[in-house]
Amino acid sequence: MEDLVERMISGKPVVIFSKNSCCMSHTIKTLLCDFGVNPTIHELDEIPRGNEIEQALVRRGCSPAVPSVFIGGQLVGGANEVMSLHLNGSLIPMLKRAGALWV
Amino acid sequence: MQGSSRSVGESSGDSEGSGANNHNTTPLSSSKTEAQLVLESPISNKASSSSSSAHHQKPQQQEMASVVSQDPPASSRSAQDNNKKKGTAGTTSEKHLDAKAYVQQLESSRIKLTQLEQELQRARSQGLLLGAYGGAGGNMSSGAAVFDVEYARWLDDDHRHMSELRTALKAHLSDNDLRMMVDGYISHYDEIFRLRGVAARTDVFHLLTGMWSSPAERCFLWIGGFRPSDLIKMLRPQLDPLTEQQLMGIYSLQQSSQQAEEALSQGLEQLQHSLVDTVAGGPLVDSMQLMAVALSRLSNLESFVLQADNLRQQTLHQLWRILTIRQAARCFLMIGEYYGRLRALSSLWVSRPRENSINDDGSCQTTTDLQAVQSAQNHCPPFR
Repeated sequence: MEDLVERMISGKPVVIFSKNSCCMSHTIKTLLCDFGVNPTIHELDEIPRGNEIEQALVRRGCSPAVPSVFIGGQLVGGANEVMSLHLNGSLIPMLKRAGALWV
Repeated sequence: MQGSSRSVGESSGDSEGSGANNHNTTPLSSSKTEAQLVLESPISNKASSSSSSAHHQKPQQQEMASVVSQDPPASSRSAQDNNKKKGTAGTTSEKHLDAKAYVQQLESSRIKLTQLEQELQRARSQGLLLGAYGGAGGNMSSGAAVFDVEYARWLDDDHRHMSELRTALKAHLSDNDLRMMVDGYISHYDEIFRLRGVAARTDVFHLLTGMWSSPAERCFLWIGGFRPSDLIKMLRPQLDPLTEQQLMGIYSLQQSSQQAEEALSQGLEQLQHSLVDTVAGGPLVDSMQLMAVALSRLSNLESFVLQADNLRQQTLHQLWRILTIRQAARCFLMIGEYYGRLRALSSLWVSRPRENSINDDGSCQTTTDLQAVQSAQNHCPPFR
């Protein structure tokens, strides 16, 4: 299962684990897309083994499991972390370093 | 990284405010009416030959008290009598049951009355029964009540912090001394965010609807508190002179905040839409299930208020980081004064003379407004 998550997050600049029914996920997706980022989005309530992936995310420290954001293969965190990073000016540079954004 | 899972809450940078307002102006009549209602119903139901209808509170209480204190011995006596007597056992035992039930009802009414009185006393002493703002009296949840009390205390503290800062700035204290005060003020804000975090989990609607705040503040509410980018916009011109780097930092903070606010607002909108759809239901939807789904959707509101508070808290921390100590001190003072003025505005508005202003030249309304401001200025402390 860890391999599956690992496969899902590696090689992609920005990966968002989300759920269609989760409005906070919608918030984070909106934020990142509005930057011009083209994130890879996995809707856990739609894809097969979504439950297992959700549990794996929790084990990785994502609480709640969705939304959780990975940038350059590294766990950034949930809505709290993403928002805080954006406000202190760290998020955009991080996205640029991962190749998700160009100047 | 700043703030990751800092527990959130809000400040809308409040200062003195509610001190000016009616902590003790609670209508005594309403409390008596409530108590009277409690007294009246069982007595009017049961007391066939009972004397006064409840005109006066005290005499009635005494009467009830005397009845209660007398009855237990009386009923036990009558029970003994009952056992001794044979004969008209039916009628006597019926009367006995009636008396006993009557006494029990009186007793429970008396207990209820005492409880009500205690609640009112508590509420009054906590300044909850406010006219202009504060909750709708009896319909407040305990989570809301607790928060309101803590918020009132926080406002008092805020006032104190502001006075200290004001004095310190005038006295041109050293940066180090000033730093300690500003650090203290930041912790003070962190505290209200923590309290709001607790309140969001116990009564999110209280925060969302702004019932904790004054009407004028409530007017500008964004997800239960101030909108960070608006605060920055308000502050920016007053923070001059700023270095180029600081200007860029503030502008960037404003922009980031705006983007985050926009995303959060959209998420909330989606939540509202889904809630509408859920509650609307449909012909084939089971109503129990509908409620269950609606409830679970509603619970998401918490996370939005918490996240909005996170934005607010981060904004304040970023300002603190970008500005010099002296600038930060002035900044926090400005925030406190701003919200103090909004609260004072609410008080003025509520207490303005509502005279009929339909005049040909329309001058009447302006005059009464000016009078209201002038009379209030005699009572309100100066802002600076």
